[in-house]
Amino acid sequence: MVDLLTVSIALLGAASLLLPLLQLRKGGDRAAAGYALAVVLGVVMGLVGWFTLHPTPVPWFGSLLSGDQLGGVFALVTVGVTLMVTVASFNYQKGPNTPVYYSLLSFTALGMLLLSYSQNLLMLFVAWELMSLPTYVLAGFDKKLRSNEASVKYAIIGAMSSAIILYAISLAYGLTGSVQISDVVNGFRAQPSALAGVATLLFVAGFGFKMSIVPFHMWIPDAYEGAPTTVTTILAAATKKAGFVAAIRVLLALTTFYVVTQNPYFTLPNVLAVLALLTMTVGNVSALTQKSMTRLLAYSSIAQAGYILIGFVPYSLAPTSAAATIGMTGSILHVINHAVMKGAAFLCAALVLMQLKRADLGAYNGLAKRMPVTAFTMTVALLALAGVPPLNGFWSKFLLFLSVANGPYSWLAVAGILNSAFSLGYYAWVIKRMYADEPDSPERVKEPFWFIAVFAVAVGLIIGIGLFPQGAINFAAGAVPAP
Amino acid sequence: MSFVLSLLVFIPLVAAPLVYLATRANKKGGIYFSAAVALLVLLISAYIFWGVYSNPPLPGQYSFVEKFSWISVESVGLNYFLGVDGLSSPLLFVSSLLTVLVIVGSRKLIDTHEPEYYALLFLFEGAIMGVFTSLNLILFYVFWEIVLIPMFFFIGVWGGPRRKYAAMKFIIFTYAGSTIMLLGFLYVYLGMQTPGMTPSFDIPALAGHIPVALQYLPLLASFIGFAVKLPLFPFHTWLPDAHVEAPAPISVLLAGVLLKMGGYGFLRISIGLFPNASAQYAWVFLALGLISMFYGAIAAVLQKDLKKMIAFTSINHMGFVLFGAYATLISGNLLGIQGAIFQMFTHGLAVGSLFMLSGYIHHQAGTREIPLLKGMKSTMPRTAAVLVLGSAAAMGLPPFSSFLAEFMVIVAGISAYGVAAISILVPVITAGYFLWTIKRTVLSEPEGGHGVHDLSWGDVAAFAAYLVPLVVLIVFSYLILTPALPVAEFLRGAR
Repeated sequence: MVDLLTVSIALLGAASLLLPLLQLRKGGDRAAAGYALAVVLGVVMGLVGWFTLHPTPVPWFGSLLSGDQLGGVFALVTVGVTLMVTVASFNYQKGPNTPVYYSLLSFTALGMLLLSYSQNLLMLFVAWELMSLPTYVLAGFDKKLRSNEASVKYAIIGAMSSAIILYAISLAYGLTGSVQISDVVNGFRAQPSALAGVATLLFVAGFGFKMSIVPFHMWIPDAYEGAPTTVTTILAAATKKAGFVAAIRVLLALTTFYVVTQNPYFTLPNVLAVLALLTMTVGNVSALTQKSMTRLLAYSSIAQAGYILIGFVPYSLAPTSAAATIGMTGSILHVINHAVMKGAAFLCAALVLMQLKRADLGAYNGLAKRMPVTAFTMTVALLALAGVPPLNGFWSKFLLFLSVANGPYSWLAVAGILNSAFSLGYYAWVIKRMYADEPDSPERVKEPFWFIAVFAVAVGLIIGIGLFPQGAINFAAGAVPAP
Repeated sequence: MSFVLSLLVFIPLVAAPLVYLATRANKKGGIYFSAAVALLVLLISAYIFWGVYSNPPLPGQYSFVEKFSWISVESVGLNYFLGVDGLSSPLLFVSSLLTVLVIVGSRKLIDTHEPEYYALLFLFEGAIMGVFTSLNLILFYVFWEIVLIPMFFFIGVWGGPRRKYAAMKFIIFTYAGSTIMLLGFLYVYLGMQTPGMTPSFDIPALAGHIPVALQYLPLLASFIGFAVKLPLFPFHTWLPDAHVEAPAPISVLLAGVLLKMGGYGFLRISIGLFPNASAQYAWVFLALGLISMFYGAIAAVLQKDLKKMIAFTSINHMGFVLFGAYATLISGNLLGIQGAIFQMFTHGLAVGSLFMLSGYIHHQAGTREIPLLKGMKSTMPRTAAVLVLGSAAAMGLPPFSSFLAEFMVIVAGISAYGVAAISILVPVITAGYFLWTIKRTVLSEPEGGHGVHDLSWGDVAAFAAYLVPLVVLIVFSYLILTPALPVAEFLRGAR
């Protein structure tokens, strides 16, 4: 069964390498690259999905990778978002470099697929780079000043976070003599030392950049705004999730942090709880004052990372407790939900930017009259992001808040719920603009077919998971790593 | 197990997209289709109402119960759990009746985006039915929040000049209130995760089993959620804005249905689940209710806009609900809770008729300003007649059953504290400003007044549907009071 995953890797690798060849065709139809990639991603999703439903969690590639359900969930989410973006790009990405664009997307997808299943720190690092490097290029794909600035900023920060992770890995290797995650964890547990604590903190920082956790978030708004909005969708809905799977695999195993530091306040659950509080509050407060839709969604994306982090807190406190399972289920479910909601919202923003050539909130005035499908999708996505039942975002937030509502971190549940209420303020503001305000010009704007197709799938998932959450909850619960 | 309640909830929800498509294809046909669906829901709720009346559930029990496991994670189980008793069945009936009447009224008063309007109307109705039938706190919360979405659009899209401000204010106030309420529910659930207690989100399983120490904070949290909805002074400031901006049919739903969610929540959850804490602080709630009654009445005197005046009347009337409910807790006099339930029913119809009429007056005369509406008795006699009758119902004049409801509440209040007898002044003030309004609008001499037109006889018949049940119910008051009795007994003895 593991072969299914090998086939997936081979397919994506082949697509990544072969797609640029289409570049050589003179004057030919370059959009073919997109269709080809969509087919490949669809097949990979099918294979990964089949494998995840019939798992054989055995070591694989010499224990570099392991086909467990946690990897399956994240692989499905990240590849699924890439597929969404690829399909929407049929209408978005034009020009002679189109095959390269799709090839880079394919490389990123391959990196995220490998990262999801990584069991080894070096494998994880290689996959991390394979995922990140193409996105640096993609962020600058527009060849505009803004886009290039975003790309450079993102590349510098990304290189720094990679360096931090690599430094943490080297410390871990020096302390334990292994780069296998399970060996590192056991080694840290057996021989706590100050250096092990430093390594753990470096992991928090390194992964934190990708997860967009405050205070490692400052690059997010600029990069998200400058990059082509389809690429932003990948950054927000997919590569960010890869940061979370790395954090789940590495950080949560290191619950010995308390022993390591010998300090009753400076424990991993405390660090994570404070980071979660900061992340959601800073994200929501900053989102309120934004004038551009992409920036608003960028800050909202930061806030959502804070919610996801809430579920890590009970797990790092007592991994065997019921609260830990509920919290981790909530986190993983929120990763799935966030990918769908944010993916849909960013693709709406991409379509508005493409058709109206504007990203400021004023462009959304009266959008319901000009682009009704986009406005409806955006409304559903924003309400789901705010956590309004019965949409999918409610259930994951419900589990997250439930997991901490009793015990030492109950303040985190209060803060999370107040944040949710607060966030509806700016989400509802956008909805108000789309439905109650008058548009600048009344004529209808074309909504291309592939975008509508993606929107339909996303809205279906948001409402479907919202009404019948049990399946998704079971799927997420099955992915919770055993302590 | 019967599925009647699920039908009640899901017929409107399933009908919403169908209505949208039908109204898009053919406006008139779509509206008739909406009316047919709403009538069907009304019939089902009448059947439930009759079922609860003819065979009232014992105290603490529910009829038409449906219970399925819905979601489970770890040890946390959520049930899809519906049931009705004498508290919810009148509210279901009045909500579905008002939905029918709102569709009738909207035919004339709503002339933009009809497909979306009627679809949202059914989303609203389905969610409301869910709120009044849910016996699981989380299911209750889910429906509670769904109600906000159509209401936000109703105010924001179909409202008056300041609709955007009003819609934002409405959603921020009510959403903030309800998330705090959710926090209270989580607190109870997790607090009960100790040996010897079975944590649950099911209302019947929780009632009487929550330890006293666990009741105070959730009582406060649920109080905030319900006080915003009721609305109670000083949480009321969204209401006048929302009412003034909302189109008249939506004001009917806002006053007749949405506010009832607050009163229902106080009875079912604040008193039903946290009885000891409620009883301990009952005097606070009683006082707040009394302040709201006086505030609503006095503020209404000062209003120039007819609709705003009616909006403040709502605050005044809903204060009675809180006042009556907690008067029973203090005195043990069952008339308080029975009167509160009765008051919710009569307020929906009486004030509903006035809100709808204010829309017609605006439509016919071009203004709702009381000083500008002169000589209605000669310019629009039928409208004037309905206004007089509707005002009589709202001020609690016999033979309208609002008289009986307010009377019962005041009696219970007096048996709680003798001082509470000053509440008798509230109907006096209410009568005062309604009569003054009638004097200025109906009985004055017309100025100009050309070009205004009057209600058609068909519209008058629709208004009769609001007012006739009120007259009928003063004679057959036991239709509501008999099933309300076990509820009142249960809530009184819950601690």
